[in-house]
Amino acid sequence: MSGQVLVFQLLNGIGIGMIYFLLSVGLTMIFGLMRFVNFAHGALYLVAAYAAYVVSQATGSMLWALLFGPLAAALLAVVAERLLLRHTYAMPHEAQILITFAVALIVQEGVILVFDPLAKNVPVPDFLSGIVFLGPFVYPAYRLAVVAVSAAVAVLLWFALERTRFGAILRAGSESTEMVSLLGIDVHRVFLGAFALGGALAGLAGALAAPLRGVEPFMGLEALGIAFVVVVVGGIGSFTGALLGGLLIGVVQSVMSSLWPEGARLMIYGAMALVLLVRPAGLMGRA
Amino acid sequence: MMRRRTLFGASAGMLAVPSLARAQGGQLQVAGVYSLSGTFANVGDLLNKGTQWAFEHYGNAAGQRINYTLLDDQGDPGRAVRRVQEAMGQGVKHIVGCTTSAIALAVAKEVHARGGVYIHMAGADEATGSECNRASFRWPGASFTAINATVRPFIERNANAKRWYTITGQYVFGESLLTNLKSVLQDAGHQHIGNSYHSLSEREYSGYITAAISARPDVLAICNFGNQTLDVLRQAVSFGMKRNVKIVVPWSTGLDQFQAWGPDICEGVYFGVNYWHGVEAPGNRVVQQVVRQKTNGTTNYLQACGWAVAQMLVEGANKAGSTEIPALIRALEGLSYEGPTGTELIRAEDHQVIKDYYLMLGKARSAMRDPADFAEVVAGTKAFQPPERTGCRMT
Amino acid sequence: MSAFREGGRFPDASTVGIAATLVALPFVLPSVTLASEVLVFSVAALSCAFLLGMVGLLSFGQGLFFGIGAYVSAVLLKDHGLATLPAVAIAAGASAIGAGLIALLAVRRHGVYFVMLTLAFAQMGYFAMLALNHVTGGENGLTGVPRPPLLAGMGALSGSEAIYAFLAVLAFAAYLLVQRVGASPFGSVLRAIRQNEPRAEALGYDVRRFKVAAFALAGLLAGLAGAMHTVFLGFAPPNVIELEMSERLLIMAIIGGAGAPGAAFVGAGFYVVMADWLSTLWPRWLMLIGFLLIAIVLFLRDGLWGGAAAALHRLRGRGHG
Repeated sequence: MSGQVLVFQLLNGIGIGMIYFLLSVGLTMIFGLMRFVNFAHGALYLVAAYAAYVVSQATGSMLWALLFGPLAAALLAVVAERLLLRHTYAMPHEAQILITFAVALIVQEGVILVFDPLAKNVPVPDFLSGIVFLGPFVYPAYRLAVVAVSAAVAVLLWFALERTRFGAILRAGSESTEMVSLLGIDVHRVFLGAFALGGALAGLAGALAAPLRGVEPFMGLEALGIAFVVVVVGGIGSFTGALLGGLLIGVVQSVMSSLWPEGARLMIYGAMALVLLVRPAGLMGRA
Repeated sequence: MMRRRTLFGASAGMLAVPSLARAQGGQLQVAGVYSLSGTFANVGDLLNKGTQWAFEHYGNAAGQRINYTLLDDQGDPGRAVRRVQEAMGQGVKHIVGCTTSAIALAVAKEVHARGGVYIHMAGADEATGSECNRASFRWPGASFTAINATVRPFIERNANAKRWYTITGQYVFGESLLTNLKSVLQDAGHQHIGNSYHSLSEREYSGYITAAISARPDVLAICNFGNQTLDVLRQAVSFGMKRNVKIVVPWSTGLDQFQAWGPDICEGVYFGVNYWHGVEAPGNRVVQQVVRQKTNGTTNYLQACGWAVAQMLVEGANKAGSTEIPALIRALEGLSYEGPTGTELIRAEDHQVIKDYYLMLGKARSAMRDPADFAEVVAGTKAFQPPERTGCRMT
Repeated sequence: MSAFREGGRFPDASTVGIAATLVALPFVLPSVTLASEVLVFSVAALSCAFLLGMVGLLSFGQGLFFGIGAYVSAVLLKDHGLATLPAVAIAAGASAIGAGLIALLAVRRHGVYFVMLTLAFAQMGYFAMLALNHVTGGENGLTGVPRPPLLAGMGALSGSEAIYAFLAVLAFAAYLLVQRVGASPFGSVLRAIRQNEPRAEALGYDVRRFKVAAFALAGLLAGLAGAMHTVFLGFAPPNVIELEMSERLLIMAIIGGAGAPGAAFVGAGFYVVMADWLSTLWPRWLMLIGFLLIAIVLFLRDGLWGGAAAALHRLRGRGHG
């Protein structure tokens, strides 16, 4: 394989990695804040992708879909938090895992019930349906736009976490929830806000991914698997970790599909095992 | 302990599934094995409907009233075998249908061992090859057919497109497609310049597609099945591959996949399909009419498949004048009937149905006469491995 | 009643109860094959319940060891002409070794990390099965696995009833094994680890080694269940090693309640029979299972078994002792 192709696979991997980052950052954020593993995270991605499908069918516009997808996911996250999840904060991890897993199951079956189990196409918006020439290579304009949007969201999110009051509370909360509540802040409202934000981010990933890979009811489970790998590699609870982990996994997957195609998928887990051996807490995690 | 056991007894009584009555005079018990829940629910439901409607349409086989029961395997081949064991233990001998090849191959063994007959629509070559048996019959053409009935006519029409690149699912079925494709290319003197394997659970193909583009092929062939076919073609088109590369999808389920892609993706792409609603044939008209009555829609491959396995059972029994298994199997071997793709023949040597497989070319949105008119039939070919080369040794 | 949680005697009343249930099951359920399926999954769920109830380890990866057991036994029976009993024993042993090796890596992490690791390894097993398709049959599975005599020279294992009897003996053996371990000093250490890991460590126990041993034992049980699955069906389908299998086993264990070995049998029986029945009523029955799971986690922490035990307790008027 020529060096040029390798460079291109690298760039393509960064593109994939940015979506993986969006997918995972909500999961890691919620864990960092309240030590809560959300197995329903993939379901949020799923719901947003279907919302994008419905909206783009109804309006013919992908832009509306990009707005409603994350909204639908955030709404689901908020409803789940109010009705169910907050009752489990005091319970052991196992209970939280099982409850969120059950929510994921219900959402998945619900999607099949409302739609049907067949895969559906979500068209790429017309103005992004072309391809872009990058030197000797071509790249779909839509994928480029996805990378741009993800990067913009990453920057915005970083600002929100570092420079706003809400971000400060989130960061403080991940150090010590007691401290935050001692400061007179309603922790439960913070938690709710974190769930809404995490849901919206997973939803954005789902809505952006819908035109790339279509929608089908089992896409949430697959997304969850990838998000776990990213989070474990990056270190649970770390924003930078999610970014690095997402990019690393994306690049490994893309480069490997040229070097050793049949092992591309296996190598994701290989990379994870390697990171765990060298840095058990993940790239950016604290032991 | 007593209390618990009575509790158990009560609940089990409540749960007792209406047992499949023994086959009685004047009634023929037929069971269909499909997945209505689980990962394969997407195909199971449509297949089952096709079978159910066919049995409703025919009503009787060899003068016996057909009583059709569904065995839902929930996408779990283990459960499929278990439910077949159970049904056959209750006297059912006539089994049809499958949702995956794993299910078909296992059920075929089970039905054969228990002295029944099984008609299915597995895609695996092994079904009428190394794993064939006296009790099992298969309707669709498999990988040899899919490649030979698409690639050969494609080459006739595109003699200059000599450099082929393949993206292949690294599993038994994908490998079979690839092996057959390579030998056809060798025959034709065309070049196979590269292949990318992907795994059965891959969803992101941009890496493979980039590798394909940089190999500068004339033709890209996609050798896999199901949702993966949807994804690879969608992503290949999004990378602009249609500009200077011809794309061939030898194994497609046709209409339902075309609907999932939409005309913009399908236009100019070659597809291989086992069934197409637009084909003029008396058998096809019957299926079309019933499906239109039921759904007000156009028949797709899955419904046609479900229909065909049921039709074969009925036609075989009518010819035998009996539903007794040995007579039925003898009647099915060599049976010719008007099926969904025209006149179809059940080959005695390996129990494969010899029928047309179509090469189709996707139409532009503007050229579509109705919402289901996604593609035109370029060629219909009966391309089957000669029986002595299938590896089938009848037992 | 909750032998995992508090330690129990061996054998006790539940041992007799399980034996009686195993004998009664094929007569109570609509078919012998359904009863056989219950047994297979009972042993598999026992593996999950043992880890969770005794050691406090939640594993999303027991399907991997179930799959190893299923494939190893299928290959031994089909290609190497082994008798049934040695094939089953070797398959269970192979799963135990596999589980031990994975545990060496996985027990380096705690809590949520551990759960995610088991899930990732389960995924990896699925890819390995596909990559080794010349051995495993890939997506077609391994069909036509023979059912030779239990030991060379004995009569063939034929007929649903004979198979059920064989599976019932194995399931009972698995139950006895787990109960025996629960009542042993080894079991007490595992319980101590669950209740307070740092304290167990401070007492001088090599916690990691105990966890690895427990994980290997759970692997043995899951592998045994996998081999039973192969013998039962004469077939090793590809989904035995899918992630969905791991999830299913865990759901069964949770529904039953991870408090006692018998609970796993109740959970598996409930799930298998319910799935069989509900799926004839409504294809989206998994949704109901989801709601049930939520209800159990919120209101019935010790599952059906724990709930029944508590109800029994109250009925006997022992109050809140």
